[in-house]
Amino acid sequence: MKFEKKRASTKQEIPTSSMPDIVFMLLLFFMVTTTLREVDVMVQFKLPEAEAIEKIENKRLVSYIWVGNDERIQLNDNIIKLDDVQKLMYQKRVEMPNVIVSLRVDKNSNMGIVTDIQQELRKADARRINYSTMLKQ
Amino acid sequence: MVRIKKKKNSGAEIPTGSMADIAFLLLLFFLVATVIDVDTGIGLTLPEYQETQTDVVPLSKDRLAAVLVNENGDVLINKEIIAIPQIKGYLTDRIRSKITLPSNKKLVVSVKVDRKTNYNLYIQTLDQVRGAFNEVREEYSATTYGTNKFEELNEEQLKDVREKIPIIISIAEPEQIK
Repeated sequence: MKFEKKRASTKQEIPTSSMPDIVFMLLLFFMVTTTLREVDVMVQFKLPEAEAIEKIENKRLVSYIWVGNDERIQLNDNIIKLDDVQKLMYQKRVEMPNVIVSLRVDKNSNMGIVTDIQQELRKADARRINYSTMLKQ
Repeated sequence: MVRIKKKKNSGAEIPTGSMADIAFLLLLFFLVATVIDVDTGIGLTLPEYQETQTDVVPLSKDRLAAVLVNENGDVLINKEIIAIPQIKGYLTDRIRSKITLPSNKKLVVSVKVDRKTNYNLYIQTLDQVRGAFNEVREEYSATTYGTNKFEELNEEQLKDVREKIPIIISIAEPEQIK
């Protein structure tokens, strides 16, 4: 007498037909969340560290000003002079009324240049600022 | 007559078998290219720019904590010389004593620095000041609402904490530029 092996009547394969859909969904998520780095930072700087820091909730509102260890100022893609800060920031503020200016200043610079930049920002009426810092470990 | 047979078009579909692979490749690219670094820092709002120095009513001594930092990192609070890490302890007492006062009597911390002060020292000072406010907020929240984590508070409680202990930091007008 021959015995036939009992086989499960259900299919034993994982359905793969919807895999592309799932993958595309993931893909879309990452495409939307990615903010590709738009600018090359041309100055060298090391951020200071602090404990009582907060996150910037809305990254799209942020506009950066870099100050390197040689006191050069970079805004957008260019190294600029201090006198140009006001004009350029004013343009930004017209485009984005509630712009947050993130100051990425080298930790060994003097307060003189920071004060000067702040003064220019006040003239341009871009008054929401954020001193970029790392979390102290 | 030879009949010309029409070729049957059997494979008129786009092969979808490799679509998943292609999508995975794209996915990988975006996964690698994504930078999920959050910007962290100390936020402030600068005062409005004024052409001429307008007459201002000076704050009462009781309300004001003037923090001066010179180029060597010495701190002067209300004529007392202390070190930067001591600022927090000094301020928490004063902030705590003003929790129950109305909003026009809360502590105002004014930070003033020299042009030659190191930026790092300035950030440490601001950090200490913010830390002091945060500590009192946490204490208040713990004694009033039973938790010192702000995430666990609801909107109203959070508003109350912010109202009772507002963070007022004033960056003093630099003296050399006017």
